[in-house]
Amino acid sequence: MKLEAWFGTLDLGEDGKVLASDPFSKNVRELALRSLSLREPGKGIPPAGFDLRSAALACGFAGSSEEYDSLLHEVTLDAAKLQISGALTPDQRIILAVEALDDVNETANVLSERLSEWYGGYFPESGLSGKALARFVAKYGSRKNVAPEDPLYAKASNSMGAELEAFDEELLKGFATSVCSLYDRRKQIEAYIESSMENIAPNLSLLAGPMLGARLISIAGSLEKLAAFPSSTIQVIGANKALFKHLRSRAPSPKHGIIFSHPLINTSPWWQRGKIARAVAAKLSLAARTDLYSGEKVPSLAEKLDAKVQQIRLMNPEPPRKKPESGLKPKGKKKRRQ
Amino acid sequence: MPEVKTLSEGIFEITKGKKYLATKNLAPGMTVYGEKLLSIEGSEYRTWDPRRSKLGAMVLKKFRIPLGQDSKVLYLGAASGTTVSHVSDIVSGGAVYAVEFSPRSMRDLISLVARRRNLHPILADAGKPNIYAHLVEPVDVVFQDVAQPNQAEIAARNAARYLKSDGYLLLAIKARSIDTAANPKQVFRDEIKKLEEAFEPKFEILTARDLNPYHEDHLGVLAKLKE
Ligand SMILES: C[S@@+](CC[C@H](N)C(=O)[O-])C[C@H]1O[C@@H](n2cnc3c(N)ncnc32)[C@H](O)[C@@H]1O
Repeated sequence: MKLEAWFGTLDLGEDGKVLASDPFSKNVRELALRSLSLREPGKGIPPAGFDLRSAALACGFAGSSEEYDSLLHEVTLDAAKLQISGALTPDQRIILAVEALDDVNETANVLSERLSEWYGGYFPESGLSGKALARFVAKYGSRKNVAPEDPLYAKASNSMGAELEAFDEELLKGFATSVCSLYDRRKQIEAYIESSMENIAPNLSLLAGPMLGARLISIAGSLEKLAAFPSSTIQVIGANKALFKHLRSRAPSPKHGIIFSHPLINTSPWWQRGKIARAVAAKLSLAARTDLYSGEKVPSLAEKLDAKVQQIRLMNPEPPRKKPESGLKPKGKKKRRQ
Repeated sequence: MPEVKTLSEGIFEITKGKKYLATKNLAPGMTVYGEKLLSIEGSEYRTWDPRRSKLGAMVLKKFRIPLGQDSKVLYLGAASGTTVSHVSDIVSGGAVYAVEFSPRSMRDLISLVARRRNLHPILADAGKPNIYAHLVEPVDVVFQDVAQPNQAEIAARNAARYLKSDGYLLLAIKARSIDTAANPKQVFRDEIKKLEEAFEPKFEILTARDLNPYHEDHLGVLAKLKE
């Protein structure tokens, strides 16, 4: 019986004794690549309990037990490194970008609030916040520098804010410039996600929009996992906290996954949302599978979804008489009656 | 003067101001997860935090730890290597096959593995032990901490292929990973039962204790193959 080990091919007799062996050269990279190719076990898998180490020593591949461990160590290490460098597939890159985007957003918000608080002492009437405020401060610094053609010129001239001295102005301008560049970074990451999604998941992108699509992949862990989920799971992706509560305390199962930010769902009246969410989830699931297996864009998917949603709208024009299920109400505080 | 007491082969209790669990550092000068290095009479020890390691907790809960200098260990669920590094210290002349399926964790594991020649990292799903059949030899101990609902089955499959007939299984069971809602005691009883009779090979449980106060809702198990 022929048998494949990481260090060579062995020929095993009926009694389990090694009859002949064909050890490989001790080139770490070659052995690592070979070891990876043996991960799809077919023929040649060693029988349970087979002593690889003794066989390696017997056939002269390794001169001692220490050498065996040394070589095996280098080979497994190299193989793991090769696997990891290959593990950063396009969908994993998108996931990293989505996570970076969340961090950038959070940081931008915190720093914007800080800027607002800080600059408010010098120009409380500006009425600006977020990106607009950051741009304004980075551009002018003190409100004394506001150009006459700027719409805020009058307010700036009559402000009750304190005087901004050169020393402080420099500090604030620098801070605002940092905030601006965070907003630029956000734009850049979003553009990256949009174009990557168009490449690796065109159908999901088409049906969900690139950002929602990317978030679904991110929470699922990969495009492959997303494609494997039943659509009922896709419907509740992102409702983790609520889902956990449901499991622990038998609270009503959550209906608000992140797909509820989909325009087809969040612009619909409440009594249609559950049904539309189900339809959207079913089509997103199909889209993810299409992306995974064919990669071709299928525009008719979007048309079919629109048609299905139209049909739901036509068939459910009026709110039902009974109270909506608590899971569907935005502020479902009251317990459901038994 | 610090005092070094051996608790089990390669596992020490060091009294230096306070008491530390520790192993002898196989890669002197290097720390893995922010643990302390203690130099005593020419040897360097790494302190071992039982709150960050289920095996460390098992030591303090007075489990017999069937590891020695030359032991071969199949470690399933290596994560970033916190516990693996101590096992590598203990079996300094043996071998540790460290299986982990998350590439992210494997990245951390790889950086610690570099100077430990008895450590063999394997990026693979422990639920499919045939994947690493061309790499792993028969072992004295299967250690498993995968925190998965089907962990009993994973243990059995690996033991069937790799555990020597006189070897041991060390297992950490996390109640919440089996069933988030059920009572942990019930989960533990069910899991023990699975180990005893649900799969092939079947196990004989030698010790089973919860790992409080080091790990909440975790059970440590020491078992051997049923005759
Ligand atoms: C609780 S952590 C282990 C912690 C580690 N034993 C320590 O003390 O340092 C569980 C690990 O098992 C891994 N894991 C879960 N299922 C697995 C499987 N089927 N195969 C390999 N690794 C798995 C997870 O990725 C995770 O890193």
